[in-house]
Amino acid sequence: MARVKPKRHNIRVDMTAMTDVSFLLLTFFILTAQFAKPDVETITTPSSISQKLLPDASLMTILSTTDGKFYFTPVENGTERIALLDKMGQKYGMTFTDKEKVNFSNAQSIGVPMSQLKGFLDLPDAERKAYKSPTGIPMDSTKKELIDWVQQSLAVNPDYKLAIKGDVETKYPRVKSLFEGLRDIDYLKFWLITSQETAQ
Amino acid sequence: MAEVQVKDSSGKGGKVRSKKQVPHVDLTPMVDLAFLLITFFMLVTTFNKPNVMDLGLPAKPKDPKQQPDTEIKLSNSISLIIGKDNKIFYHQQDQAGLNDQTLLETNFDREGIRQVVEQAKARAANKDLFTVIIKPTDDAIYKNFVDMLDEMAITKNERYGVTDVKPWELAIYKRKVGE
Repeated sequence: MARVKPKRHNIRVDMTAMTDVSFLLLTFFILTAQFAKPDVETITTPSSISQKLLPDASLMTILSTTDGKFYFTPVENGTERIALLDKMGQKYGMTFTDKEKVNFSNAQSIGVPMSQLKGFLDLPDAERKAYKSPTGIPMDSTKKELIDWVQQSLAVNPDYKLAIKGDVETKYPRVKSLFEGLRDIDYLKFWLITSQETAQ
Repeated sequence: MAEVQVKDSSGKGGKVRSKKQVPHVDLTPMVDLAFLLITFFMLVTTFNKPNVMDLGLPAKPKDPKQQPDTEIKLSNSISLIIGKDNKIFYHQQDQAGLNDQTLLETNFDREGIRQVVEQAKARAANKDLFTVIIKPTDDAIYKNFVDMLDEMAITKNERYGVTDVKPWELAIYKRKVGE
């Protein structure tokens, strides 16, 4: 009877399956990752102990800068943005070209009064991205364009949520005028964006 | 790496054999890199969300003449006046009782405003109805306001309100800060 020769072999871990899984996960995370776009102006948010994270809902954001200017970031959805622009156009008696509509749906934040919006949308892409408005969106007792933006957004889709990102140095009267404006349109629940602070 | 050479002990001494080559790509560095990237993207997705705090505003009364029927007893409430330069004042007085001595100053520290609120709450006749009234002046900044709301969350005061500072309070406040 022939002797059974011990076979010469390598102990080897087959990593193919693990590689498959890890690349599948990698692809998933790369595709779902959403990078925070930098804001138009630097905003330092106040800290709070709140553990709640900003929800994923369709979100419009109001930025309030140190010197009291307001920027409005409509929801991400392109078609709904165009619907919003149409509604704002109707309200202020303006019409927009298709190119302006496309630019609007790609724009980051709006920080100009309605009267300058066309000019802002006609700027070349690079300039529009770097544009810092000297005035912001008007928001005082007579001109409430900021509130109109919120109101018309809600008219497009009432499920929108609002988050306010205010700078620590924003003067309180500016914030108050915004709150009062939101109370006027009966929009009473929203979020204040804060940064994490450990409970004392 | 992931393969361990097992010495063949049954070799017939000295005879050099050509080694059998198994075509094999070492996947370890690739897997390392893939896991590094997975970790990175996982962390990025969870951490780029900022924190939020809820804020609900009271609805505006439909009829401006109608006064709200919730009268708060002075001893059951405390008024906090947020002033300029991170100053905060508090009192438990009405118009007649408020003067330079009864409007007290504190700060936003743990020993400051938190103790003031907690002591006032401990003194309150009806602790369930103890109300904090936050009155930011026009000199206040947004940070102070958020800090106060945060303080309410820390001290678990469910009942608080934000309102405008009254003219008689403003007069005393202005005198206190030397305007």
